[in-house]
Amino acid sequence: MKNPSLPPRRPRIRYVSPRFQGPAVLAFTAIIAIGGAIFWKLVDSGFQRIFLQTAIRGHYTFDSAYDIVRGLLSWHLAGLFFGVFLAGSVLVLLLVAATRHGIGKAVESLRASADRDLSTPIATGSIGEFARFGEKIDAARSHTLASVQEIRNEAAALAAGGIPPEEFRLRWEELKQRIRRIAP
Amino acid sequence: MSGSDAGGNAPLIRRRYVFGLLLRLCVNFAGGVGILFIILYFALSRPLPGDYGEVFLALRNLSPFLRPILAVSVLVYALLACGSTSALCLFILPKVAGPLYRMERILDQYRSGAHTRTVSFRYDDQIQPLAHAFNHWIGTVRRDRQRWLATMMDAERHCLQDEATCRAKMEEALRKVAGDIGRYR
Repeated sequence: MKNPSLPPRRPRIRYVSPRFQGPAVLAFTAIIAIGGAIFWKLVDSGFQRIFLQTAIRGHYTFDSAYDIVRGLLSWHLAGLFFGVFLAGSVLVLLLVAATRHGIGKAVESLRASADRDLSTPIATGSIGEFARFGEKIDAARSHTLASVQEIRNEAAALAAGGIPPEEFRLRWEELKQRIRRIAP
Repeated sequence: MSGSDAGGNAPLIRRRYVFGLLLRLCVNFAGGVGILFIILYFALSRPLPGDYGEVFLALRNLSPFLRPILAVSVLVYALLACGSTSALCLFILPKVAGPLYRMERILDQYRSGAHTRTVSFRYDDQIQPLAHAFNHWIGTVRRDRQRWLATMMDAERHCLQDEATCRAKMEEALRKVAGDIGRYR
């Protein structure tokens, strides 16, 4: 029976993005497929050679075909494992480096924004997802800069004088509202 | 953000995360190779027939006979390894993709003019400094905004006096605000 006092357990959301995880999955699949194809080619030609040699040599001191190809199979399986794992590890390290570079640039740009530099663009590089993310940050910074510049121009125009009191009061209130709308 | 290394100087991607990913990858590939070995072992360990002639013939014909078995076993290995590695990508990479997605949504929200909350990632999520840097930036903008509003409110208080003083104080406040905004570039 359910205990009503216990809050319902919230399912953990796992975000799946074909744009982000898709290329990684494809790259790993390519590595595994290439590794498998090379293994198949090498082992197949190895089997052809070794069984023919063994048949011709005579002296059948083995019980099964496995006894003949044990060494060849072990070496090729070890080669397949290390080859695929090394290539996969290089891919992981490349992904990590790309993430560090792309997000690192975004962090730098946000830190510059905190120092009120909103115009220097982010150079996140041309890696799809990070380039798009960099554009989003740039857009948010540009939006803030445009709002702030508008406020500045309006404040400067009002401060210049020569505006009738009623209009001045209206524009003053409007300016306050506009300031309140920045980073709500 | 939560956790002790939630500050802006925390690494973007923790070493532990990278090592964990490599370890899981190693286990995946080792498992795939293990299954490939088991299939080939069972295919190859059948005893060869008894006399000399039969063994000779069996060995001559073994290679073409094993070719489809080898192809199928490599295919099984590839499917299993691809499946488990894809699952790994779907379960491990969201620790980077998830925060990116949340940040994108918050940036869209920010641009639309909706109320922007402080960004917080889960404890085990990566790229924590991104949330810290964004919160720091929004904090700076909000502090500046409050200062400009306070300057204008302060000028409004002089409106209890005569009209000319009020106007002069307001214009002075506006010049101050415009000067302050000039720091933005």
